[in-house]
Amino acid sequence: MSIGGTLASALSGLTASAKAAELVSSNIANATTPGYARRELQLGSRVVGSSGQGVQVVGVYRNVNLPLLGDRRLAQASSGDADARAAFFQRFETTLGTPDKAFSINGRVAAFDAALTEATSHPESEPRLTNVLSSAKALAAQLGAASKDVQSARQVANTEIATEVNQLNSALERTVKLNVQIRRNFGLGQDTAALQDQRQQLIDQISKIVPVREIQQNDGSVALYTPNGAVLLDGVAAVFGFSGGTTVTPSLTLGAGLAGLTLNGYPIATAGSHSMILGGTLGANFAVRDELGVAAQTQIDAVARDLVERFADPALDASRAPGDPGLFSDAGAAFDPLNEVGLSQRLKINAAADPDQGGALWRLRDGLGAPAAGPVGDSSLLTSLKAALNAPRDPATGGFMAGERSFSGFASDLLSSAATSHLQADGDAAYHKTKLDSFVLMEAESGVDTDQEMQSLLQVEKAYAANAKVIKTVQDMIQTLLDI
Amino acid sequence: MTHISVGDMAQSLILSRRNATLKDAIQNLSSEAVTGLTVDTTQRVRGDYLPLAGIEASLTQLDAYHAVTTETAIFAGQMQLALNQISDSGSTLSASLLAAASGSSPNRVDTVGFDAAQKLQAAMSNLNSRMGEHSLFAGVATNHSAVADTETMMTALDGAVAGSLSSLDVETAVNAWFDDPLGFAATVYQGGAALAPVAVSPDQKAQLDVTALDPAIVNMLKGLAMASLLQRGVLAGSDVARADLAKRAGEHLASAQMPFAELTARLGTTEAAITNAGVRNDAEKSALETARLGLIAVDPYETATKLQEAQTQLETLYSITARMSRLSLVNFL
Repeated sequence: MSIGGTLASALSGLTASAKAAELVSSNIANATTPGYARRELQLGSRVVGSSGQGVQVVGVYRNVNLPLLGDRRLAQASSGDADARAAFFQRFETTLGTPDKAFSINGRVAAFDAALTEATSHPESEPRLTNVLSSAKALAAQLGAASKDVQSARQVANTEIATEVNQLNSALERTVKLNVQIRRNFGLGQDTAALQDQRQQLIDQISKIVPVREIQQNDGSVALYTPNGAVLLDGVAAVFGFSGGTTVTPSLTLGAGLAGLTLNGYPIATAGSHSMILGGTLGANFAVRDELGVAAQTQIDAVARDLVERFADPALDASRAPGDPGLFSDAGAAFDPLNEVGLSQRLKINAAADPDQGGALWRLRDGLGAPAAGPVGDSSLLTSLKAALNAPRDPATGGFMAGERSFSGFASDLLSSAATSHLQADGDAAYHKTKLDSFVLMEAESGVDTDQEMQSLLQVEKAYAANAKVIKTVQDMIQTLLDI
Repeated sequence: MTHISVGDMAQSLILSRRNATLKDAIQNLSSEAVTGLTVDTTQRVRGDYLPLAGIEASLTQLDAYHAVTTETAIFAGQMQLALNQISDSGSTLSASLLAAASGSSPNRVDTVGFDAAQKLQAAMSNLNSRMGEHSLFAGVATNHSAVADTETMMTALDGAVAGSLSSLDVETAVNAWFDDPLGFAATVYQGGAALAPVAVSPDQKAQLDVTALDPAIVNMLKGLAMASLLQRGVLAGSDVARADLAKRAGEHLASAQMPFAELTARLGTTEAAITNAGVRNDAEKSALETARLGLIAVDPYETATKLQEAQTQLETLYSITARMSRLSLVNFL
């Protein structure tokens, strides 16, 4: 052992301590930075020739639990998926409205029914007939509004798909660039921790959109796959394609007016068990646009159809010419069973009974085809209208359970169907959220602990002082030698 | 060496999550405490809205029926009142006609004839009673008066009995005119067919089908008209025939009382049915309101307890947060 060796060891100790202090300060500074993984200094004894001399910084260890990270990302994707579905059903249920609200479909049906009841006792009263007309209009408008709301949810999903596809493509591209940089730094033996932090944040973004499995390569780069087998990034980034910008209407569906998704130019499935992108918000948006939204629209249209058909019975109103629409019309014309899609938005009151459309109010009482007003006290047609509204009837479409029900019962079935789906989706979302929360908590637990950092800072301080002391001593020793 | 440590973020995550949960609970509970109704109806009814929707629809419907029964009961009451007045004048007039006929003074017959004309006038205006703009005895033509004015009827009758030589002839002519579809029904009655039955409760209908064409009313009018003819100088010159006509009119009016009483009884039954329907509706309404509360109401005691509990928890969380944030090695170095 030489004095020079001692000095070199003490210097290496000082360097290591300085580096350690730097890491402590970096850790403390990033104590609340999301995606920051705690750094630890890795030390080894330095070997010069065949004997050890001093300490060397082997590297900076980025303290990240990869399996946990992977699980958290998958949970994040599932949670995003379940949240989006639950949000759709909640919106659908809210737009239908619970029966205690006057603006709900059930509330509108009840108001229409009540208006008819009141009109039967006083058929000559203009206010009562006006009330029948306006409550019928409100009911038609409510069905239209529900349908518009469903379509606007589909529209939002369509727009979001376009945004997410852009985000996904750009995040994948940037990940590729980071991969390249990390590989180069890794080869040069430089610190890659900060770059890895950045890459982790990017992949976190991706994993909200589609579920991601990360595969670590030996050179420090990563490959990304979805659990269902789509290659997102393996050396080069995959490119997703989607043409949004369409205005969604009830008659547009996937493949019939609405675009699907392409991966590297090839169309891929966006629904079903063989779809490779399901499980994140992207898949959920496709589901809202192409499945849930379409099913909801079908149900609303079935209810609208039931309403139209109840009042279209030729036996109900003898004054009406055959083929003419009943009280409710499909945009003024009679309903055509082949044109059911979007009926709810086209529902209109028969113009013959609506003064705003050039009709006359008394036609509600005397018949839609009546040429002149009849006896003002005749309530028989109004009674029949009320009976038609409440008559048990089997819904023709909409996928509802078979069985006869009144219109009000049918409207409740629609709401119950939405509410049950909402409950189920909510339960699902809560489950995924809890799972995600616990993973996030576990991740946070392995994050920066300031107490621990302060503790290591104390150690660093002590080591630094000790090494400095050694140098001082060596200086004394050299001085002694020089003094001889 | 693996360090045993808990990241700073973990602590703040736990605290903020608990905080959010508790605040959410407090918001829901305080809203429930104020309204007495559950915040999450969907959860409460387990997604099955059929019973609640049924109850709400029935409640709205019962409100409508309430309006209907109130109004129909008023109509029926007014009709009853009008019929009673007609019946009263009929029986009074019947007595005075019979008394006048049995007396010997032709003047009394003239007087009673004058009285009869007035009573007929009153009866006709009773038949034209309106409630609001709703004509009561005109059937479906509720915007028309039920009968034309008395003069029109009497002029027509004058023509019908012209040339009659005996009281029997007059009686036969009057009966024939009233029974002829081209007589009373065509020239005096201005209303339409009887009103259709109106639903007064979910399962009951009431029909106010009494019109001025009802046989009991027409029968009463026959007697009144016959007596009124005395005032218009029928069978002039023969006091005996006029007295006999007064007698016949009096007897006719007396015999008309019975069917008329049956008519008012029938109307009374309808009135009672309407009242019953109203009572039934009110009972159903309160039963439904109870059932509705059973579906969506919350127990106020339970809510208050939970609210108190959540408040205590939140306060505890605040003091824990304050203490934990002070617990840092930094403060001791």
